[in-house]
Amino acid sequence: MEAIEGLLYGLSLALTLKNLAFVFAGVFLGTLVGVLPGIGPAAAISLLLPATFHADPISSMIMLCGLYYGTMYGGSTTSILANIPGEAASIVTCFDGYQMARQGRAGPALGIAAFGSFFAGTIAVVGLMFLAPTLASFALKFGSPEYFSLMVMAMTLVTYLSQGSVLKGLMMAALGLTLSAVGLDPVTSTLRFTYETLVLRDGVGIVPVVMGLFGVSEVLLNVGKTMNREILQSTIKGLFPNRQDWRDSSLPIVRGSMLGFVLGIIPGLGTIIPTFLSYGLEKRLSRHPEKFGTGAIEGVAAPESCNNAAATANFVPMLSLGIPANPIMAILLGALTVYGLQPGPLLITEHSDLFWGVIASMYLANIMLLVLNLPLIPLWVQILKIPYTILYPLILLFTLIGSYSLNNNLGDVIVMCLFGGVGFLMKKFRFEPAPLVLALVLGPMLEDNLRQALLISGGSFATFFTRPLSAAFLIVSLVTLLLPLLKLRPAEQLLQHED
Amino acid sequence: MIKADRWIGLLLALFSLYVCIESVRLGLGTFQQPGPGFLPFSAGATLGVLSLALISLAHFGRTEKREAWQNPGHVLMVFLALLGFTLLVEWLGFILSAFLLVCFLLKIVEGRGWGFSVGVAMVVAGASYVIFDVWLRAQLPAGFLAS
Repeated sequence: MEAIEGLLYGLSLALTLKNLAFVFAGVFLGTLVGVLPGIGPAAAISLLLPATFHADPISSMIMLCGLYYGTMYGGSTTSILANIPGEAASIVTCFDGYQMARQGRAGPALGIAAFGSFFAGTIAVVGLMFLAPTLASFALKFGSPEYFSLMVMAMTLVTYLSQGSVLKGLMMAALGLTLSAVGLDPVTSTLRFTYETLVLRDGVGIVPVVMGLFGVSEVLLNVGKTMNREILQSTIKGLFPNRQDWRDSSLPIVRGSMLGFVLGIIPGLGTIIPTFLSYGLEKRLSRHPEKFGTGAIEGVAAPESCNNAAATANFVPMLSLGIPANPIMAILLGALTVYGLQPGPLLITEHSDLFWGVIASMYLANIMLLVLNLPLIPLWVQILKIPYTILYPLILLFTLIGSYSLNNNLGDVIVMCLFGGVGFLMKKFRFEPAPLVLALVLGPMLEDNLRQALLISGGSFATFFTRPLSAAFLIVSLVTLLLPLLKLRPAEQLLQHED
Repeated sequence: MIKADRWIGLLLALFSLYVCIESVRLGLGTFQQPGPGFLPFSAGATLGVLSLALISLAHFGRTEKREAWQNPGHVLMVFLALLGFTLLVEWLGFILSAFLLVCFLLKIVEGRGWGFSVGVAMVVAGASYVIFDVWLRAQLPAGFLAS
């Protein structure tokens, strides 16, 4: 009942002309970003963030959240029409979506992707609406030891679930923690690693770092590649799937949505791994597994539903616990802090207008995306035809403007450029940026809780192991760290398997 | 693991050593009352241990061949263009710097024609100024043109 009241309150906020315009702007830009390969949601949200400083926090969050799940819708278009994932979560969609397009069935593939995404997105918002407040009220019982252990668990999960070597992931997490210590020490007001530069006094800014690691580095990687962007069909006909298509897709959509929501809650899983799992599950359950990879509509319906549900589920730990599930959530968490809001379990009760406004906007955004996406496909096709050689100077210019506008300070631009170069090298040498970003965001909170817990316990580390919940989080962390020794790495195995 | 991991490991090990020394200087405090250097020291020490593990794995373990870099010259030019923009923007102002950046990327890096590069650069610089500075009030640097 409380949830329904909250939703009605949220709708009263989201249904104003101004907020509807923000929802529209968010989902439109998100779809555009999703369609365009070479720029992902993390970079796009970072770019848009400075532009929201003049708006109120609710409208800003509504737009940024809309942008995120808009990319999930848009990513499928490029996967299906050009065999290039517009967004990493749409990699799996290429397998069967592109084959369907080759057989002249791009319309039903795009249609089922949109309808599946709508269903999954809506179901996931219902889950988020009920689960986040429950989790937040449970988390109110947490003390400093539980919080510290929870953050350790989030970091180890992200490291374990990211692609590549766990050792390198852990190194990036340790580097992120080191970087998070830069700036003013909150307890003693001592300046740490600032070298008398003004820009470092407030710490290493999360937004310029993310812009560099995910925006600039992506451009640098793509500049070095030859991109073949051949679009199969310029005019798309028959977007509505036929009866057989619906019969084949309805259960995969439901399963994909459920799986995406459950897995999306877990920090580190993000949206990519659930889509691979969903595809694998459908292939295993299918009576005709041999059809997968040759244009099976289930191979589009399930992962597309899954990535939308997972994208919405990513908000559960972020809004209820203040724990970001992936780098995008880390930026949104940073955005909340910029708007003067304190992320954590109290966010939902102390800023119920923000929480319910965002929830209500998600329902509206899903409807908007369904209505928008299908008629606008010809426009996206035209945009896809713009060569990357023209697009990337624009992307770079926008990242430069975005990082400068954060504080009207060139220091942020320099940080962004440096991390752009670092991010490029990291990808070339197979270091994952996600653990670094997460550690950078969680670092200050982790330090604060560690110091408080030690202060209260009189310097005894036993406090982390004697409190049941804290001990449980640490056991999960330990198991997660030991699993690679048993060669159980889902992300790596899935990617290798599907290669 | 790749062969370069030995050098990356070494670089990060040296960095972690520096972090640890600096953290000790900041003050580690006690377990009862951790000081400002406590967390960076712990993180730095962890990074150091992991870096040593990386070096030994890359040295004694099986290493794979690193993928070949495509167009490294292009990548370097784009990166230098970004740094150039950063260095010049306060002096030249946003409009002129943006024009030069886009023009450089299109003409020099991508090898497009002069007319096309100059035309696109002018439109992009002008439009982004109107959108970000005038409309979104981003207060972009005006440079010497303002005076």
